Amino acid sequence: MRIVGRDLHFAYDGKPVLTAVDLEVGEGEFCVLLGRNGSGKTTLIYCLAGLLSPQHGSVTIDGLDMSRATRNDIARRVSLVPQEHADIFPFRVLDVVVMGRTATFRFAQRPGPEDYRAALRVLVELEAEALAERNFNRISGGERRIALLARAMLQAEGTLLLDEPTNHLDFNNQHRLLDKIKRLCREKGTSVVASLHDPNLAARFADRVVMLADGRVLAGGTVDRVMTASMATRLYQTPVRRIETHDGERLFVPCLSETGAAKADSEEAGIRRWT
Amino acid sequence: MGDISTMEIITDASKRHVRLKTGLVMGLVGVLVISLWIGWVPIAPNELGDIVRAWLGGDTGETLAGKALVFGMVRIPRALITVLVGMGLSAAGAVYQGLFRNPLVSPDILGVSAGATFGAALGLLMAGSSWLTIQSLAFFFGLAAVGMALLIARLVAVSPMLVLVLAGLVVLSIFNASITLLKYLSDPYNELPAIVFWMMGSMSRAQWGDLRVAVPVIGGSLILIHTARYKLNVLSLGDLQARSLGLNPGFYRLLFIFLSSIMVSVSVAICGQVLWVGLVMPHIARTLVGPNHEEMLPVAVLSGGIFLLLADTAARALTMAELPISVVTAFIGAPLFAYLLYRNRGSGWS
Repeated sequence: MRIVGRDLHFAYDGKPVLTAVDLEVGEGEFCVLLGRNGSGKTTLIYCLAGLLSPQHGSVTIDGLDMSRATRNDIARRVSLVPQEHADIFPFRVLDVVVMGRTATFRFAQRPGPEDYRAALRVLVELEAEALAERNFNRISGGERRIALLARAMLQAEGTLLLDEPTNHLDFNNQHRLLDKIKRLCREKGTSVVASLHDPNLAARFADRVVMLADGRVLAGGTVDRVMTASMATRLYQTPVRRIETHDGERLFVPCLSETGAAKADSEEAGIRRWT
Repeated sequence: MGDISTMEIITDASKRHVRLKTGLVMGLVGVLVISLWIGWVPIAPNELGDIVRAWLGGDTGETLAGKALVFGMVRIPRALITVLVGMGLSAAGAVYQGLFRNPLVSPDILGVSAGATFGAALGLLMAGSSWLTIQSLAFFFGLAAVGMALLIARLVAVSPMLVLVLAGLVVLSIFNASITLLKYLSDPYNELPAIVFWMMGSMSRAQWGDLRVAVPVIGGSLILIHTARYKLNVLSLGDLQARSLGLNPGFYRLLFIFLSSIMVSVSVAICGQVLWVGLVMPHIARTLVGPNHEEMLPVAVLSGGIFLLLADTAARALTMAELPISVVTAFIGAPLFAYLLYRNRGSGWS
């Protein structure tokens, strides 16, 4: 197992956010975290990235105990694509990507031609080399995600953590981004943990799903085992139907309208519709 | 494919930047020569040669004695200190703006200058305080000011860009009020004018002795900041990303704040408050070479030196009685800042 989280507990100011969370992700596996807003997805990702220290439990990545490792050691193994990217200086995309090399630089060191070449190579791999000279603040949200993904890949290809990577992306870009990440898993053996809000994207791209509810693991395992209508209904606390298309694609549909809710109610008796 | 074309773009840009930096160094030397030559006592270029020769020979001719004194004891140290202060203030501004991810902060706005001024004024009032006391007090209160602004911003912790400026305003007001109080309490015939004139900012008291502090402190800080300047790029992404990229933001933040605050405090202790340099020069540099601190910092430092030396030369040459240098820097700097804000409005960061 590349990523192992054991019995993780985390609390902000005494308010528990994660409780007894276990998580395992193997080499080349794409693990998706699902859960409602405030269910602890971001906190879990930050604990895995070593940015937050769980009050109890342990995180091991590539055999490295995160509580003992230095920032630099962690950064060479684990890369993160954060959720919010506030406006920064109008750096070129290439300058943003090359920062993925930060962990390898000494006090006075700056990126050299070799680092820029490597940064460019990653952009080429992601078919985004046209972005290299553009102003990071002036490209689209989807392009920014690609640029940040490139930075993360340059930093560490082994373990990639993504906090809601599909936020603010259009329909097409959501699928293209996840497809690229999935290819990384297949071709480079990258282990990925990504939080998503759309169960359909999870069903389509994930190898493994962890459902978080109020900081606890509601269910975890392979897509086939976890992604059922009843689990989705419990997770989102709203009636959810699963529709299977003729070519085997599974679609999850919430039933909020009068008719839909009625249908779902008949399928899933005794569920809470609203919290 | 893209490999070649982009590498070309990178080297192209860096060639352009090398040309720009060479031009700035030459400009600095040019302004230095002009400022040594211009002034109340006219010294012709051929007389300069005579003075230098006389020094080397150990013998100063009768006719040149006065001019040699003006040249050697007044103009040279003054020009050198002005350049150092200009460089230090603009480097401090660039560091603050990068570190706090805020184009509106500068040592003036975060209250560092006001804190240092208060400290120095306190030193001026205390009977028999040495230059070192004034210096240390300036440094202590300068650092206290930036600490207070950061603390307030951290306690509020909402919309950091805006809150930091507001917190700076709070600190600035407190120290300005304290300075006013000091002025009110001081002896109106001797101490008050001394504080007032010193606060207006002037290079006129610059002496060789000041260089003994300014060269190691400002020079040393500039070298360290220049050496580690790439880290400013990473720090400007914010703590979370800096940490996930493998940088220890706490250490570098502290180092950069310490180095820039000590430069500002030394400048304040030598020549009072010189406003606008720290705010405007980084913007000029960013307009010229972009936001990457690798290129932007040296350009900001060089332009800061040139700008302040020009301002001081103008302050000396424009009128019979010398103008306070802050008046000159504000009259040039403020409209320039407005123009740069207008020019860079489309960059997505302002």
